[in-house]
Amino acid sequence: MTRMLVSRLIQLPFIVLAVYTVTFTLAWMVPGNPLENPEGRRPSPEIVAAMQAQYHLDDPIAFYGEYLAKASGAAWLMGTSPHPFDLGPSLRQPDWTVNEIIETGAPVSMRLGITAMLIALTIGIFAGVVGGMRPGGVADVGTQLLSIAGISLPSFVIGSAFLVLFSVKFKLFPIGGVSGVESLFLPALTLSLPFAAYISRLVRFGMIEQMRSDHARTARAKGLSQRQVALHHALKNAFLPVLSYLGPATAVAMTGSFVVEKVFAVPGIGQHFVEAVLAKDITLVMGVVLVYSTLLVLFNLAVDVMYRWVDPRIA
Amino acid sequence: MQRFCRAPRRGKKPATSAQGTRRGYASRVKVLAPFFILLLGLIATTYLDPPLPPADLVIIERSDCFTLDPQRMSYQHEIRRGETIYEGLVALNPKDCSIKPGVADRWTTSADGSTWTFYLRPNAKWSNGDAVTTRDFLYAWRRAMLPDTAADYSGFFFEIDGAEAFFQWRAKVLAAFAAKNSLSPTTMEDAQALWAETEQRFHDTVGVRAIDDATLEIRLRRPLPYFLDLCAFAPFSPVHRASVEQWTHLDARTGRMEQSHGWTKPPHLITNGPYVPTVWRYKRDMRLEKNAHYWDSERVAAKSVEVRVIENPNTQVLAYGAGGVDWLTDVGPEYKIEMLGQRRVYESRHQEALNAVRSSGRELDDGVRTLPPPTEGERRDIRALHAYGTDFFSFNCRPNTPSGAPNPFAQVGVRRAFAMAADKQALIDRVTRLGERVATTLVPPGSIQGYPLVEGLPFDTKEARAELARAGWVDRDNDGFVDDASGKRFPTVDLLYSTASPRYQNLALALRDMWRRELGVPVEVRGKDAKLYKEDVKKGNFSIARGGWYGDYGDPSTFLELQRSTDGNNDRGYKNPEFDAMLDAAQSEPDPARRLERLAECERFLFAQEVPLLPICSYVTVYMYDPSRLRGIREHPRLEQHFDELTRINGAGPEAPQ
Repeated sequence: MTRMLVSRLIQLPFIVLAVYTVTFTLAWMVPGNPLENPEGRRPSPEIVAAMQAQYHLDDPIAFYGEYLAKASGAAWLMGTSPHPFDLGPSLRQPDWTVNEIIETGAPVSMRLGITAMLIALTIGIFAGVVGGMRPGGVADVGTQLLSIAGISLPSFVIGSAFLVLFSVKFKLFPIGGVSGVESLFLPALTLSLPFAAYISRLVRFGMIEQMRSDHARTARAKGLSQRQVALHHALKNAFLPVLSYLGPATAVAMTGSFVVEKVFAVPGIGQHFVEAVLAKDITLVMGVVLVYSTLLVLFNLAVDVMYRWVDPRIA
Repeated sequence: MQRFCRAPRRGKKPATSAQGTRRGYASRVKVLAPFFILLLGLIATTYLDPPLPPADLVIIERSDCFTLDPQRMSYQHEIRRGETIYEGLVALNPKDCSIKPGVADRWTTSADGSTWTFYLRPNAKWSNGDAVTTRDFLYAWRRAMLPDTAADYSGFFFEIDGAEAFFQWRAKVLAAFAAKNSLSPTTMEDAQALWAETEQRFHDTVGVRAIDDATLEIRLRRPLPYFLDLCAFAPFSPVHRASVEQWTHLDARTGRMEQSHGWTKPPHLITNGPYVPTVWRYKRDMRLEKNAHYWDSERVAAKSVEVRVIENPNTQVLAYGAGGVDWLTDVGPEYKIEMLGQRRVYESRHQEALNAVRSSGRELDDGVRTLPPPTEGERRDIRALHAYGTDFFSFNCRPNTPSGAPNPFAQVGVRRAFAMAADKQALIDRVTRLGERVATTLVPPGSIQGYPLVEGLPFDTKEARAELARAGWVDRDNDGFVDDASGKRFPTVDLLYSTASPRYQNLALALRDMWRRELGVPVEVRGKDAKLYKEDVKKGNFSIARGGWYGDYGDPSTFLELQRSTDGNNDRGYKNPEFDAMLDAAQSEPDPARRLERLAECERFLFAQEVPLLPICSYVTVYMYDPSRLRGIREHPRLEQHFDELTRINGAGPEAPQ
């Protein structure tokens, strides 16, 4: 276990570095000048030239090195930068640093993603167990149909329907802004549906298989009820694939919520990231990619640790 | 042994073993572990991002402010925010856009109107309790006059004597400094020496002087009747010098005075207006709290204001509909046209009552507030207000087209014919459909006190054809298209628009059909995305191009200067020395009333004779707010809505007439 942890933590910076390099290359290949804004204010040519020099936009290699040094904290350790993990100023929003943008947006996206995963787990496991206990039954067919709907309906359709129904018609939930739990419920529910559907299918197949297995038969033979067999014996093993799915899924829910953020006006990092890509705001793109790739690696690590704990056979 | 003694915990079957129970218990813990971990994460992120208490007033805006640095502000919503958190020497009265005292409680002008002296009130305070002094103004205005700041509105400060020369000088020495650095590295001492010289030069040559902490003298390069209006404009606000200076530093490589923008964000930001921002989250929200040190804070109604940013136009409207929002400042979606239709149904049902309100000189909201609530198919929470801007199409007035051929629109007669052949009322009724007013000139009617109503060319297709014939374009071969004397067909008109909004495309298509039908000219429309459109307009690569302009300050010159030969926004390439001379003469007229008359003559010359551009309509801005819930929205076209005048009416519902 310890060996695994140490080796994975040593791998982490190399994985992030690789992601950084690939993203950097892609970002640099996009044509257009990040300092140019077609929608209005355009700085004078002298200012553009000065900024290009300041950020090394005229020299990709220098930009690559300097940004990496500042973002990784190396420059701070060497004393050439006042802040550790300095992700630089946003090229399109000169009054904001990338750190500030991520600090305001990331907690919201994370909250949204985590809430969505909680909802997805609850719905998914429940639906999967109900369906898997009696394959082909009414409950099974119903949950299967719902899960297909959850996977195939795009979130902007479901989201808009939820908005009109629950917020405008019944005025149950506010829209826009993040105040209490209630303001995140609808977007989280929308975001959770595809995950819930997938989890329910994983659990269902696992349950069907486990209920047919030898140890379930033994349990039944010693007189346990169908429910007890399902909850005490089958679910534990049926849950394993969910666990390995959970790490990347949580990361996706936290990072890939762009559409839901847009529909519900949730001020998360997703929409800033997409806008940054479109506007070629390189520093913001790099910053978000760095933070998220680090998170993704850490989540996968956490899941692996949990996996070993739940199923000691994997060591 | 033990395993048979212990009673089963639960379950009907007695055969459940203790070990089995323990294992079952453990497996449940393991299944539940992800839930606990996720819950922990939820608690942690909520702790990192705690919710704010509800505000007295909730406003939704379409985009966030780029900056709260008043000198670098540029956009309309930014300027409005600036005027909410800062206060200049004077302020505008939102009701009629007259001038009211601000930080200065009185002021005097010299006989020729070129020197102004402002006396700052002793109780003008920053939000940290410091007194607002003339040094804060000097410092802020100097920032605006430095190319280092890259302020969009630097040009407005050039009305101050010596400011333009100072700006140019600084730009020149900075360029020289950078050139020197590229030969041999410059040092901090060099930059400091240059900065000392700059400070000295500002003091010696620019016409702003602090006589003492409370008396500010300003010398203009020419008399400027609307100077007070500029002083109320957010970029002329003071900044808290002591705090801003901590965020500036000299750059030894460029010699520039650089600033890091941390001071524009709470908790570092110190302001002197009715409100002070306490939270500002990027593209998310801004929380404004009443500034306890503001000299007139008793007048400020709402203790706290939450400004939410929702960029998606559809979500904005849904968010308003979900409740809890007092004012949506710019309604985006196309279906606002239908919503405005419902408003018209409501208004027409109460036509008489509303007419009575209007004729008694009160604002419409005062009447709407007392009416019974709307019924099915009606609404009163949306409103289109006339704005301080005009939608138009530019004629390319350059003598030649980009390909070098002679440009027919260089002929006044052709422009007049095109202008008279456009049925603007039809465009408004069938294309834009927001209830705009037809415009025949550029200055929106009723927006400037004392400025007479100027009439441009009317809609008259017969006269339009006659005008085109007088310019030499007649259908000589009866093919439905006009030709010149040699029989050559009118060159195809290149009608350029931006695809940023369907409105522009619809207008262009409708105009194309009108001109084809009424004048017999070939017209092709060409849609380009915002960036390429702008490039083509700047290069003069069009025959007719969509345009629009919002006034910056309360004087007709903010519109008329656009047509000056040398103006940077003269996209039409209209160069007429006669007009330039007329404009100069009008601008230097000392008597304010006479000056406005002469400016009106300039406008008449432009739009009754020359028509370098074709005005379509005055813009409207569409708000959503319920007059029975919110009080204080003003109708004046400059739409100077000050947050400190807005009040949420408690116990919303129809109110008894006062």
